[in-house]
Amino acid sequence: MYETLRYEESGDIATITLARAGGNRISMRMVKELSRVCDHLEDQSQAKVVVFRGDGGSFSEGIDFEDFDPDKPMDIHGFNRWEKCCTRLERLPKSTIALVDGPAVGGGLQIALVCDQRIATSRSTFQLPEVHMGFLPGMATFRFAKYVGLGHAKRILLTCPTLDADEAARLGLIDRVDEDLDAAQAKAIAALGPNHSVAVELTRRLLNESFHTSYENAIGHFLAAQHRAISQTAFLETLRKQRQD
Amino acid sequence: MLSVGTANPPERYRQEDIIDLFEVPDPRIRSLFHSSHIQTRHLYLPPPDAKGLPSETQGQLLAKHLRGALEIGPQAVERCLQPMGLTVRDIDYLTCITTTGYMAPGLTAHLMKHMGFREDCSRADIVGMGCNAGLNGLNPVASWATANPGRNALMVCIEVCSAAYVFDNSFRTAIVNSLFGDGSAAVLVRADPADESRFAPQILGFNSHIIPPAIGAMRYDWDDDAGKFSFFLDRDIPYVVGANAERPVRRLLKSHGLKRRDIDHWVVHSGGKKVIDAIKYNVGITEHDVRHTSSVLRDYGNLSSGSFLFSYQRLMDEGLVQQGDLGVLMTMGPGSTIETALVRW
Repeated sequence: MYETLRYEESGDIATITLARAGGNRISMRMVKELSRVCDHLEDQSQAKVVVFRGDGGSFSEGIDFEDFDPDKPMDIHGFNRWEKCCTRLERLPKSTIALVDGPAVGGGLQIALVCDQRIATSRSTFQLPEVHMGFLPGMATFRFAKYVGLGHAKRILLTCPTLDADEAARLGLIDRVDEDLDAAQAKAIAALGPNHSVAVELTRRLLNESFHTSYENAIGHFLAAQHRAISQTAFLETLRKQRQD
Repeated sequence: MLSVGTANPPERYRQEDIIDLFEVPDPRIRSLFHSSHIQTRHLYLPPPDAKGLPSETQGQLLAKHLRGALEIGPQAVERCLQPMGLTVRDIDYLTCITTTGYMAPGLTAHLMKHMGFREDCSRADIVGMGCNAGLNGLNPVASWATANPGRNALMVCIEVCSAAYVFDNSFRTAIVNSLFGDGSAAVLVRADPADESRFAPQILGFNSHIIPPAIGAMRYDWDDDAGKFSFFLDRDIPYVVGANAERPVRRLLKSHGLKRRDIDHWVVHSGGKKVIDAIKYNVGITEHDVRHTSSVLRDYGNLSSGSFLFSYQRLMDEGLVQQGDLGVLMTMGPGSTIETALVRW
């Protein structure tokens, strides 16, 4: 069904495993397949949590340069499709978790950044090498500083160091280091509690928008979103239950 | 939809100009005018009377409505037809839409006399349907065009909101008086296979939604104390609209086998900041999707029925729309109602 990844769904949990020989590099084919997975998750899937993993000892080692031909004129459309795909992953109506084991480089790191939670093993590494290669690290330019602050973001994006998992956790790039990703996944899902999808989706959206929205606009957005949340059966049931208790 | 033209009164006011002109004393009302989502509006305002207030009788307001309509309406029509190389003599069906002034004969008759339409041009007036009315009008206009292939149908939204005010320094009227602006928008609709090579959207369908329990949330009714018609806007409108907004959109898209993600462009009525926010967070569209809706609100205020056509024009002027793109047009207003239409370029 997919060439560049494996998709499995079991109960509430959908697992997307990036699976391409040579470090799970992101090809245009993978972008297309991730978009197809998004179609499925948005339209049909009953899963409440989406987990991203990498196959063969890497999370993803970044974009696949085989898609670029230096003898042909460059165009921006592939980047546009990739960023649209990232935005869709970021806005999935599900909770998302990246479980990183091995290198997460460039676009691979961006997949982790668009997830709600990021957990990595101690052998994992993180790098945005694009600027040293003469191009830009995608919309990590937009997302990265929100996790680590502007000072660290400038240093990391401009000097392209390889961060180990402990440093990534210390900077806030990942939530924590855990050697047992299966157990970490179970803990992360348990921590989501009842996982009310509307509340999760709207809270995540407001947080994602918070750095570039004025307070005057943000309060309006919050009230609109809150009205939607308190009109859902999830909140009404919570209220009824509290009255019974 | 082959062409759109818009027009506004010549006088443009910043929000602070209005509170200064009429020496508004209440700081709550002054701050209402100062919120940043509306910066300017075009209005037909009278000079202040002896008490420093705008004071026009209902009769004067109705006369102003017609006078203003016959200034901005023809301008919008000409700006719509001129790029197509057409004149009013080429129009076979005329619909006028207004809520801000009642008259018989209606605006179509006045516009036809004023501009010299052909005597056999068919016409219909849609009066009193409010901010959503542009799509309530577009629906029969599109049907007429489809039933009469190759013939020209013209819809003209004309709203002189400055002919529909009560100014009594109350918060209720201040909300209205700080929000609405005057403007007219005309759109030419034609169903002709010869037009298929033109870069213009085809209207694919409509979906409506009415919320009967909220019939009183937005209304324009008689105020005995003021001796005038007066707008009333319930403070819960944004939430009523928000809670229902997804339904007509879902039905509209489903009937064409589409998903929200298939829609490239959203043309939403500039109802007010809270209404736009409610649409964004309930339909799940972004700030970028409503950029023209927000900028039309900022520059003109709420232009009522023609407002979405101003946003549509900005979208077209932006030059990003591509052949095959899909768009949703969305208006909301009294009823309470939400109207939607699907178009494809």
